[in-house]
Amino acid sequence: MFALRRWWNRHALKSGLIFLAVGSAVVLRQTDGFVLAEAYHWVTRPLQPGISREERLESSYVLELQQRLVELESQNRSLRQLVEYEDAQSSVSIPAAVIGRSADHWWQQAILNRGSREGVKPGYVVTGPGGLVGRIVAVSPSTSRVLLVSDPTSRVGAKVSRSRIMGYVRGQSNNRVIMEFFDKSPDVKPGDVVVTSSYSRLFPRDIPIGRIESLDLSKSPAPEATIQLSSPLPVLEWVVIHPFEASETVDDPLAPDSDSGRNSARP
Amino acid sequence: MTSPLNLPPTPVSPRQRWLNISVTVGSVLLCLILSPSRIPGMELLGVVPNWVLIWVVAWSVKRTPSQGAIAGLVVGLLQDAMTAPHPTHTLSLIVVGILTARLQKQRYIQEDIVSIALIVFGMAVVAETVMALQVSLDRLFSESSLYPSLGEIWQFHQRVALSSAILSSLWAPAVYYPLNRWWERYAPQDLSS
Repeated sequence: MFALRRWWNRHALKSGLIFLAVGSAVVLRQTDGFVLAEAYHWVTRPLQPGISREERLESSYVLELQQRLVELESQNRSLRQLVEYEDAQSSVSIPAAVIGRSADHWWQQAILNRGSREGVKPGYVVTGPGGLVGRIVAVSPSTSRVLLVSDPTSRVGAKVSRSRIMGYVRGQSNNRVIMEFFDKSPDVKPGDVVVTSSYSRLFPRDIPIGRIESLDLSKSPAPEATIQLSSPLPVLEWVVIHPFEASETVDDPLAPDSDSGRNSARP
Repeated sequence: MTSPLNLPPTPVSPRQRWLNISVTVGSVLLCLILSPSRIPGMELLGVVPNWVLIWVVAWSVKRTPSQGAIAGLVVGLLQDAMTAPHPTHTLSLIVVGILTARLQKQRYIQEDIVSIALIVFGMAVVAETVMALQVSLDRLFSESSLYPSLGEIWQFHQRVALSSAILSSLWAPAVYYPLNRWWERYAPQDLSS
């Protein structure tokens, strides 16, 4: 009895642990290793192959075909839109693809793949799926260069289509442009649609430009609004060139208070 | 400058000379054509590497300031032709050409890609600053200036200068390395020092 007690004193901890280990092993065994399997599953989760090799190859092939289908569908849709859009416009407009951007950061320009060979001339107006894009400033036999409305030197006569408030739009090198009003307290609110004004010399009237995003009516000298352009200039792929004769030459001096669009070609 | 082939620096056969000229001109044209393209992955905040600036730096690094200035003038005019003549790129590229040649890199820094990247970084900032100065002057002194206020100009300058400098310096070796190898090997007589 004494010997047994001494043994217990010496080995109590060890035997306790052994009992615990064996006990938990038995419990696991009885539950068919449920906890272990779960733990293994969580640890190796990143390494698990979802499906077999062949299935995976097959499914990626299906995926590829699906993606191709999506791409073709979207191409088809955008071309169809362009065709319908073009039908809605005057008959002689010229569709063109955007093939390049400005060769410098200080200008917002785009290069199109249609030029004087197709009858494009400087001053023609370029629109895209969302509305006004810009104005042709230079042509070569098979390319033309557009000064985008987002260029800091671009000026477009504009009006708010709901309340007919006049102003002009100037670019600021991103997809938002600033509209300055001629009125001191214009009747405008965020969400109003802005289109080119009928007094604009360099653009035909009523081409959509964008939507008013925010207003700063206390701005001096003229109240201002920030406009989100409706045509996605940074990602444009297709545009349409419309023949347009400016009503006066660009170099004519402007009366300071005239409501005239001016999208200046640089001097 | 010793040629790796140990060729006598002169005379150069007319054929070799024409080849040198066409390689130089071809590289300029390549840089110009790359400028308006927006190759995916090359864009940062809508800004792309300033290829022509890299070319001017690569040209001027081992040449005299006057050669650098002339290259800057020619390439600047070409770039003007691709965008618009005002404000002009010639001024900024001439400054870049002269400064790069004045650095006399081979005297102080060992010839390597990293130092070229550093020079391009600095020069890109210089070039954008010269452009911003021109725009500001136009804004200050021209009655019918179409540019926005000075604050907006310099804010834009900050954004453009930084991203252009980073991108250009990263892409600089792609232009500098092959060109420099060619010039060292086949046209050492054209290099100063």
